Parts: sequence; C-alpha cells; structure tokens
Amino acid sequence: MNEILITYICEDLLNNELESGLSPQDDLLGSGILDSLGMMKLILFIEQKYNITVPPQDMIIENFMTVSHITNYLTNKEQS
Amino acid sequence: MGTNETSSYKKLTKSQLSLWIGQKLHPEVPLYNMAHSFEINGAINPEIFSKAFQELINRTDALRTVFSELETSPVQSILPHLTYKLEVLDVSTETEQSIQNWMEHRSRQLFNLSQPLFDSVLLKVSPNRYIWFLNIHHLVTDASSSSILYRAMSSLYRHLQEDTLAAFKEIPSYSNYIDFETERTASQKQSETASYWKQRLANQLGPPKFYGKHPAKTSTRSRRVQLHMGKERMRKLTALAARPDIRAWTKDLTLFHLFTTLLVAYLYRVTENPHISIGIPSHNRSTTVFKQTPGLFIALFPMIFQLEATDSFGKLLERVKLETANYLRYAQPGMSTPSINKSFNVILNFINAQFNDFNGIPMRSEWIHPGHCDPAHHLRCHVMDFDGTGDITMLLDFNESVFDTQLRSQAPMHLLNLMDGLLDNLEHPVGMPSMITEKEETTLLRSQTIKFTSFSSVVHQFKQQVKSKPNKPALYDRNKQYTYREIDQKSNQLATLLLEKGIIKGSRVALYMERSPAYLIALIAVLKSGGTFIPIPSDTPINRVALILQDSESALLLTSKNLVEDNPISTIDIMHLVVDPDNMEANGEKDMIPSLHATDIAYILYTSGSSGKPKGVLISHAALTNYLTWAKGAYALEDHIKMPLFTSIGFDLTITATFLPLITGGELIIYQEMESGPDLSFLDVITDNLVNAIKLTPSHLTLISDMDLAKSNIKLMILGGEDLKTQLVKSVLNSFTNPIKIFNEYGPTEATVGCIVAQYDVSSHTKTIVPIGKPIDNMKAYVLDAYLNLVPNGLVGELFLSGIGLAEGYVNLPNLTLEKFITNPFIKGDKLYSTGDLARWNDSKDLEFLGRKDDQVKLGGVRIELAEVESNLLQHPALKNCAVLLLEEENRLPEKDVVHCTQCGLPSNYPKTDFDESGVCHLCNAFKSYKDKALRYFKTEDELASLLMSNRGKNPTYDCISLLSGGKDSTYVLARLVDMGLKVLAFTLDNGYISEQAKENIRSIITKLGVDHIYGSTDQMNKIFVDSLHRHHNVCNGCFKTIYTLSTKLALEKKVPFIITGLSRGQFFETRLSEELFLDEEVQIATIDDTILQARKLYHQEDDAVKQCLDVTMFQKEDTFERVQFLDFYRYSDVRLEEMLTFLKEKVGWVRPTDTGRSTNCLINQVGIYVHKKQLGYSNYAYPYSWDVRMGHKTRTETLEEINEPINEKEVKRIMNEIGYQDSNTFGMNPKQLVAYYTGSGINNSKDLSDFLKKRLPHHMIPSRFKFMKELPLTVNGKVDKKALKDLDYKQLEMETPFVSPNGEIEELLAGIWQEVLGLKRLGTQDNFIALGGHSLAAIRITARLKDELHLNFPLNKVFELPTISKYAKYIEKTIITLMKE
Repeated sequence: MNEILITYICEDLLNNELESGLSPQDDLLGSGILDSLGMMKLILFIEQKYNITVPPQDMIIENFMTVSHITNYLTNKEQS
Repeated sequence: MGTNETSSYKKLTKSQLSLWIGQKLHPEVPLYNMAHSFEINGAINPEIFSKAFQELINRTDALRTVFSELETSPVQSILPHLTYKLEVLDVSTETEQSIQNWMEHRSRQLFNLSQPLFDSVLLKVSPNRYIWFLNIHHLVTDASSSSILYRAMSSLYRHLQEDTLAAFKEIPSYSNYIDFETERTASQKQSETASYWKQRLANQLGPPKFYGKHPAKTSTRSRRVQLHMGKERMRKLTALAARPDIRAWTKDLTLFHLFTTLLVAYLYRVTENPHISIGIPSHNRSTTVFKQTPGLFIALFPMIFQLEATDSFGKLLERVKLETANYLRYAQPGMSTPSINKSFNVILNFINAQFNDFNGIPMRSEWIHPGHCDPAHHLRCHVMDFDGTGDITMLLDFNESVFDTQLRSQAPMHLLNLMDGLLDNLEHPVGMPSMITEKEETTLLRSQTIKFTSFSSVVHQFKQQVKSKPNKPALYDRNKQYTYREIDQKSNQLATLLLEKGIIKGSRVALYMERSPAYLIALIAVLKSGGTFIPIPSDTPINRVALILQDSESALLLTSKNLVEDNPISTIDIMHLVVDPDNMEANGEKDMIPSLHATDIAYILYTSGSSGKPKGVLISHAALTNYLTWAKGAYALEDHIKMPLFTSIGFDLTITATFLPLITGGELIIYQEMESGPDLSFLDVITDNLVNAIKLTPSHLTLISDMDLAKSNIKLMILGGEDLKTQLVKSVLNSFTNPIKIFNEYGPTEATVGCIVAQYDVSSHTKTIVPIGKPIDNMKAYVLDAYLNLVPNGLVGELFLSGIGLAEGYVNLPNLTLEKFITNPFIKGDKLYSTGDLARWNDSKDLEFLGRKDDQVKLGGVRIELAEVESNLLQHPALKNCAVLLLEEENRLPEKDVVHCTQCGLPSNYPKTDFDESGVCHLCNAFKSYKDKALRYFKTEDELASLLMSNRGKNPTYDCISLLSGGKDSTYVLARLVDMGLKVLAFTLDNGYISEQAKENIRSIITKLGVDHIYGSTDQMNKIFVDSLHRHHNVCNGCFKTIYTLSTKLALEKKVPFIITGLSRGQFFETRLSEELFLDEEVQIATIDDTILQARKLYHQEDDAVKQCLDVTMFQKEDTFERVQFLDFYRYSDVRLEEMLTFLKEKVGWVRPTDTGRSTNCLINQVGIYVHKKQLGYSNYAYPYSWDVRMGHKTRTETLEEINEPINEKEVKRIMNEIGYQDSNTFGMNPKQLVAYYTGSGINNSKDLSDFLKKRLPHHMIPSRFKFMKELPLTVNGKVDKKALKDLDYKQLEMETPFVSPNGEIEELLAGIWQEVLGLKRLGTQDNFIALGGHSLAAIRITARLKDELHLNFPLNKVFELPTISKYAKYIEKTIITLMKE
C-alpha cells in the first residue's frame, strides 16, 4: 500500500521534485511536499483506488501526516 | 518589440475565456493588468539582467502568447520568436514618490490582446538598488505564475552570470494545460462534480448588497486598501492556529480557514444576507509539471454558507472546514461555468506564493493595483505574506461604485473591529462584537436636536387662544359653529359636572363617542378637570369597550345619545354620561385651569395587542406638549391652520388635528362618521374644500390620486401611519396646481404621534419609499442590531427611540413595559423604546423605514397585531387552525431603474426577464436556439398567392376579405393583395374611436385601390372594451376578437373562403407561436398549424364579453373553420418598415394620422396602454414589439420610441368615463388587505367567520377574505409558513374551492408547468385554469411542455375540459395506464 501511494505522490503530486526519494515517514504536509489541493487529490485517488469514502471529519493531520499514517488510517478503517 | 510568425491556434481555457469576455466588455480599462515591482536591494548587472529576461521570454510560451478572433471565437497562438529589448531606466535623481507614481501610471497601460501581453522595465534607483517592474495581462498569468517567473528570472540571472545556462531547468509549456483542460471538461460534463456544483448553486439568494448599496451599474474603478495585521493580531492568530482543535493539515490551510471564517462573518454583518457566497481562486496546478508552468491556471469556485447572528465563530469555523474540504474536492480543472462565476461578488484570494531573495540579494515585492477590477467583484480580499515576514497583509480592493470614499475608510476598520471581537473568544456569536469606529459612534449619537422649552400644557395653550381670539371660530361641523369662547365655556361647564361626579386629578375618563363637537368639548373638559381621557371610536364592538373600561379602571364613561340608544351600555358596570353641548347646564360654570404637571397622564390609547387583547399606552402631558410644540413650528402656515377631523379618534395620528388648530388659533372642521358602513369622510373633506392642512394616511392618498385637485386649498399634507410610496406622492402632487408641502411623519403610539419626520422633496426622494427623515426636537433615534450595537450607516437594524415623547408604559402590563422600554445603553438613566420597526440611515442621513421585525402590520395607517386577529378567529368552534396575513401589491421597479434589452428593447420590468452580462434578455438568448426551427413557420408571398388562387372561382365576387384598420400594416396588406390581382373585400371595425384622419385614409385607400369596403360595428363595443380592460389590461384583445367574430360572420354570409389579417410577426409570437411549439426537435409545420387551429377554436369558446354580446353560434359548428380560413399576411411577407412606408407613399398615398397624438389610428388604444402600464408597469406593446425587432421588422430604437410615447392622461380619463370603465388596482379597491387562511370543517361561508369576528374586533381588524385551505403549509420548524401562503394569487383567494397542495409525481409536474405558464408562485390541485386567467395560448404552452416531458400528445382542449390539476392528473394517469396495457 505504501508503495502505491508513494508512486502516485511522486509521479503526480509533488510540489517540487525531491532530491532523495520519498519515505513513508516523511512529513507530507509540514515540509511542503504536498499542499492542501494536492492532499485532496491524494484522497480522491485513495477513494477511487480502495473504493472508500473519506469523510471530512477524518481529514486531519493525525490521519494524513505521512504515508505510513495514511496506511494506518486505511487499515483501521477497513477493520472497523 | 520584434515578433515573428505564429504557430497553430488553440482554444481558450475556461478561465481565459471569462477574462477575455470581461476585457472585451471593458476595452478601455486595464482591469486585468497584474503588475509587480520587485525591489532588489543590491548591485546587479543590468546587461545580464536584460539578457536573462530575453532568455525567460524564449523559454516561456505564456509570454509569447497572443490572442485573435477566428470568426467569432477567440483563439490563442504562440509566437515562435520574440525579441524584447528590456528598457533600463535611471531614476536615481527621482524621489521615491515619483518612482511610485511612475509605476502606478505604467501599470495601467492597456495591452493590445493581439500583441504579447507583458511590459517590463528595470529601474535603477541607485547603484545598489534596482526595481524590476513587470506587468503581465491576467490572460497569461496568475499569482503562482508570477512567482514561477520571478524564480526563473533569478535562476536565469545566476546561470548567465556563472555561464551555466545549459544547466537551467527548462520551463514547461502552457499548451499542455490547455489540452489537459479540454480533455477533463469533455470527460466530466455529466460527472458527480458537475452535479455537485449545480446543486450547490441552487436556491441561492441574489448577490449580497454591501451596506445596503446596490448601484444600478457598477464601474470597473476599484481602490486598494492595505491592511497589516500587526504583531498583536498575528500573535493571536498564530496561537489559535496552533490549537489542536483548530489546526488543519498545513499552517496555510489553518490560516485560510480562519480568514475565511472572519470574512464570512464580516460579509454577513455588512450585507445582512444569511447566504454568503465567496469566490475562491483554486490554484488548479494539479500536477508537479503544472506547478512549474507559468500561465493562467486559477479558476474561481464558490464556498457557500448559511448563517445566523447567533452562530459562534467557533461553530462557523467548523463549517468553513467542512466547506473547504468540499471545495478542495470539487474545485477541479475545467469545471468552471458562467453560472458558477456569477454566483458571488466577493473574492477571497489566499495567496501562498512567495518571492524570496533575488540570487542571494534581499528583495521586497509589491503588487501594484491597476485601479480597476472586474465590476462583478464588489470586494476582493487578498491575504498574503509575499516576502515571508510573518506579518500577514490584507489587500482590500473596493469597487468604487459600491464603496465611496467614506466607506472605504470605515469598512477595513469594521473588519478589524469584528476580528478583534471574535478572536478573543471563539464562543462569541458573530453578531455580537460592535464594528463601528468611535468617530461613527459619535456622529450617530449626535444626530439629534435637543431644544428644551418650559412646559406649558395643552390646556394652557388653548386658554391663551381663548384669551386672544375669543370670538373667532374654533370648531364646526355641518350643523354648527363654535367660537373659542363657547368651547371654553362649554368645557368649563362639563368639567364642573365631572368634578361633581367625583372626577379628580388623575381620574380616567373614557370617551366612547363619534367625532363631533361634543367629543372635543368632552376631551377638553376631562383635561381641565385634571383627568386622563381614553378615546374609544364609535365602531368599537361593545364587548371590546367593556374590556377597555375594565382594563383602564375608568371612573366614568362619556358618550353620545346615538351610541347609548344603539348599544347596551347599561350592561357595563360603569357610570356613564351623555354629552350634548347644546343642552349643557349653564349654571355653575367655573373657569377651570388645573395645575398639570409634565408627568401627568394626558391620554391612554388602546392599540392592538399580540396577546389577543388590546393594550393601553400611557401618554404624559410632557410627551403630548413636546410633539405639539414642535408641530406648531414645523407645520406653521402663513394663514391660520384649518384642519379636518376625519380619522378615527382611536388612532394616535388623529391627535395632530385634534389639538393643533385649537392651540394655534386655527379652525377644526369636524366630519362625523356614518353610523355604519365604510368611513368615506375623507372624500367629503376633499369635496368641501374647507381646509388648508390635512393629516392623513397614504391609503387616503390613493383615493384621490386620480382626482383633479387644481382648485384645492390644501397647502400642507402630513402623511403618517404607514410607509409612503414615492410614486403615490408624485402622482398626487401632479393633481395640485398650488404649491403644497408634504411631510412624511413616523411615530408609534408609544412615542407620541410623530417623532421622526421628513419633508418630501421631489428631487432627492427618488427611491420607491419616501424616507421617514430625522427625529423631531428632543427625540433621538437609534438603529441597533440584535446585540444592541449601533449599526453602520446603510445597514438595517431595529429602530429604537428615546426622548421626552416616550410613553410611560402600558396599562397593567409591567412585564411588557419592561420588555419594550429598556435601559438606554448610551445615556445613563434614560429609556429606550424598542419599536419593532426595521430602519436604516441612508446616505443623506435620513432614516428609511423598512418594515416590521415581527407580525405587526399596518392597514390604513392603523397597526394591527395579526396574532390578535388569529386568536379571536380561533375561538370559532369550527376552525382547526388559521393564519392571518396582510397582503400587499408587490413593489414595482421604479421607472427610472427600468432598462431595456440591448438587442430587442424588452423592458426589464416585463415579468420574469433575465438579462445577461451584456444586457441581452432571456427571450433573445433563448430564441437563438430555436430561431432556425421558428423561421420554418414563415413562407413566401408566392405561397400565399397560390393558396388564395387555389380556391378561386368558388365565390364569383370576392377571393378574400382583407381586414383593414387604416394603419400602415393593414393598408400594405390590402394594396399587396390588390397587386396580386385578387378580388378583395375590405373590412373595418368601427369601434367608435377611429380617428377622423384614419377614416379619411380609409376612404382614399379604397377609392385609390378600387375595392369594396364594409364597416362593421356593434352597439356593445364599450362593454367589450371594459371587459377587455379587466381581463387583459388592454383594449386590443377585445377589439381583435370583435373583428374576428364580425368578419367571420360576413365571410360566411358572402361565402368568402379567406380572411387576411395584418398581424405583425411580433404579434404571432404574442398570440400563438410560443417557444414550446419548437421544443420538439423534429416538429412539423403542419403540426404547428393544427395546434394553432385548435387554439383558435378554443379562443372562440372563452367566456368573455364578445361571447356574451355578439352572435357567436357559428363557432360552435366545426365546418365554420373549414369554410372560412384565416391567413396572416405577414406570415408570407417579410417586409421592413421603411420599405413598407415607401411602398405606401408611392402606391397608395397613405399618410400617418396626426390626430391621435400617437403612432396609431385608434383613439382608445392609449387607454389600453395607460391601464396596462399602470397595472402591470409596462406597455402591452413591449412584448410583441420585442419580437418584431427579433424578426428584423423593427429596430430597437423604433420600438423604444413607440412603447415610451407620452400618454394624454386627461383624454384617457375622458374616454374611460365614456365607456364606463372604473379605474382600479389589480388588487380590487385596496392595495393592501387582510386575508385569513383557515382549516377546519363545517363552515358554510366566509360570512360566518366575518360576522363572528365583528362581535369581537373593530372593523379595520376584520379580514376582507377568508380562504379555506385543506391544510396550512408548515415550515421546517413546524410553524405556519406565512411566506408560502403569500404566494397565492388573489384570483386563487377568490376561489370557493379549498386550496389543496399537489401530491404525487404527476400532480407536481403539472403544477410546475402551470405555475410557470400562468405566472403563479403556487398552485392548488383544485384551482381552475380558466379562473386563473388561462387562455388558448396558455393551453398551447402547457400541452407542448407536457409533450416534451412525457412524450405524450394530449389534445389542446383537455386543459379546458379538465381545468384543474387534480382532474388533468387523473386523465394523464389513466392515459398512461391504458398505454401500458396495450
């Protein structure tokens, strides 16, 4: 899951090209890798890819700060 | 600038297209110039810099893009090469200010769209300081783009300096985005995103009006105000942004949420619109590549909110977060549409672009405002921190037409004050913080005059007049006159008697009397005895009199002989005394001068109470004297004042006439009311013409607006009681020849008669309603919001009053008194009366009245609590529920605000018009889509000739009858038919009003053309005119139908197969060719012809005066329509006006009649136009002529000239009189009326209910209509939805059948169609099509729409056969079931 997200981010969303690659622990938001429109695009991608809906109240830093946060969130969501 | 050949053309992106149109609409204005100055604080090499800029141009296709038009569509292309010599300007000897001015000036330079759209200069301020000026047209750039270009420039400069240009990373091309967007748009047309926006935009209110301002036309001129947040606010913002419950994904997003919330709250406060819509630019650079591409990417999408004053900032912030999430999700490239762009007039531009240092040199940037903006954006708010200083700057671009100089200085302060108030405590409601500046507060609190005079009671003032003019007449009625001395003596006598009866200072004495000298004497006597008088009008039901006596604890009831005889007064437990001035006991008279104090109560007036019972208002002598003292000065005339007493003694406005003449040495003429029936005293006042001043209500004024008042002696009119319409005052003023002063007085009973007043001024009072003006002496007015903040000028708030004139409270209602008379927060120890009226201060510092906060209404100047009527009505045993409403005619657009379609001339007050940005009406725009189909309906003259020839020989004498009015159109028809070699019989209806010259024209035409001619006529013509005026608001409809009827009869008699009409093409569209006929893509002309024939048959069955007065039996027979066919000449002939006139002049010698004063040959025609204009606001020719223009048969100018021709009102009134037409409002006689809507069972007729109420309420509180509803519509909160009830048309109210809401899909579909076609807001399933004004054209439209919706063909006549939705729906259901079975 991490891989899919990282590929999508790197190929389609980056604000600026990264000097070294993107790790699942990189802060996507704080470091300016993604802006809010980019994050929304990522969510739309996730929704389509995994056939789920991310409600607005779930759109918080705690769920989306890094790629691994996102995978955690998705896993939890699947279980619940 | 050297350019080279262009590459291929590309279409414009959606955002580009909207800017391109905007620039085209304002070609002289630099409204889309985006200029930046980059101040580089260090040494640079100008030569390298110039080179770098050339390299930038070479690499950036956006900078080489030019625009042109291919056919009518704009296209863009990229110049392959562009050599640009960057100007380097040495400004080292200039001052900072002049450099600034130079840049501002330069930034306004207009771009030629067919040339490269940028301008750049390098300014050398000093060897160590340069300014790079870069101005780019928005069509090829946006904020991010500027930042990209700046960074690229910095990098190119470095590479050139280091000679490493090859290592420069290439700049992506904008054309990638153009292709991307085109693809996205195509694939998303029907997507979820598109439907999201469609749904989001539904049910929007109009764009918000800032500070009550809505200029008819907004210019592009715009001013920018810069607002730095400053340290303290930034500290608060940063602290808030760090809170976990507030923090969003990024700091920028958090700040965006906070600023959006703030702006929404501000907009809500200053536009009073509960729906706030803000346009937010989406940067739209959705991929990594786009993030590095210069060019125009941004697209505007709205964020929409609904809010209330009680919503807290925190609650609103949560909504903003949600809406932002939706926004981010749906603001997608290519999804922008014109309707999305039209849905807001405010922009919030949160810019996170930053311009860092220039190649290591510190840089400070500024965005230069070009002085213009898109005029649709009244406020643009940019939030930014370009240079990353940590201090956010807001740039507010104010449209100058909306925000004047003063407002531009106040508005930013309002925003900041609100921000400070809200950021301190997130739980604060957005309505709570005060916004106004100290300066505004001082002005608002100071705007009243304080003028104290020593207190002298009305009794003393009257006594002074007795002393100085004892033998002058003081008051009289039809029978008798009394001098000042007589009144004094008689009131002394009565006062003496009162003393004997135990009346002492402070006693309450009720006066249940007619308007009469006795009433005046009684009232003065009560005051002389030191008592308080309570006037009770003679039409008060005895139950209510008892209620008032009991509530007021009156000691005595003074009444008249008549009332004692007619009413069981003895049943009331009170001492009563009949006052008869002519049989007063002469002995025992003492001159009574009581010692009255300012705080003593002079009178108690009972007004309608929302609890269901009337409430008494206590007015002190000080309050009464204050009003009268002021009025004495303000209303003084050269001569002594003569006023009539003709309004009810129970109303506070009557106090003016009651006292003013008697304390100024004037005369009071008393008009007693009739014992029963409506009070028409006012008309007697006008006919008698005895008075020079009059106090009256606007309702009275409507009664005389059509009278000739040339000889009237009235010099002063004081209007009070309800809002005064400018149109009404104007029309009345015109009827007077003498100069006359008109005052508009405002004042609730609780603030004594009048406390705010405006003198009407023709030149300055141009709005629909005359302002109420400024407070009188010693009174203050405050416009406050729900949190008792003073509201800024222009905004609506509740009107509060303070000052000497305030009442002492309500009788026996301590809680209500506390609730309505609150502590004045602005003056210590003072009271503030909450009027419940809405008002605002306008630009001239006058107060404007804007209606009620609650359910109280005014009818004929009298206030009525609807709840009181409802609670009395609900006591009727058969009633389940009810709601009472005051219905008013809708306000019309003032004539000066009417604009005309820029293409066809249709006026904007034509029902349901919608004009686009270029001022083109919806009819013109819609016609574009079916013009081709519609044109197929028209044929050639050859076709007409062969059709007419085909039946040749059937009648040896005539081939056809030609309808000849003598006007140009019908004369042309006749001449052309003769030209074709046809044998023609000309027919003219002599309706009694054909002008002499027109008759002469007819005579010479038929002689010249050598044709036979017959005049038809009927002695019922006037009846037909009157019916037509009532039914259609014009005379033409009745006249046409008479012509059709009489000519058909003639044709049958003479066996002529054809009748040729001279209807214009415009008239076809007015009477038969509706848009709906062309809904069907493959419509056959034969089908349309058949539909029109069906409609004609129905037309002759309509039950109007023609059907009642003339012989129409032939229309019952089917074969009539086969034996006589109607052909419209202009269906076959396409002739322009000038061509026609030339032909007529040469061949026939036709001249335009001059004796009708208009472009017509018929004298009564203008009566129709007058009535139509008066009742509907626009000419009956406006619509057909707009079609003539659309069809190319008239020009817009010709049309405007004709529909705006002046009308001779005198002549119109003479003719109205002659034909027996009573001019009236569409709403019956009264433009306002009370209507009760009820549910229940077992009520036979509305008279039951009316009689029931008459025993409980005075006349003016009895509804004039009672409408039976199957159920009352409810709001989401479960209350009766009064707004929905207001949607019922007066014709629906008159129907005996109950109102039943549509139910089920078919009924709802039908109701929707009928509503639109009949121009109604709400339709019941039992409402009758014919009674609602349905006619054959409406039937065509309904049937065609049903066909379009259901793909089923229904016969036209079904609408008439099954004239209710309920019946028609059943028929449709049956038809569908039958079809399914098959």
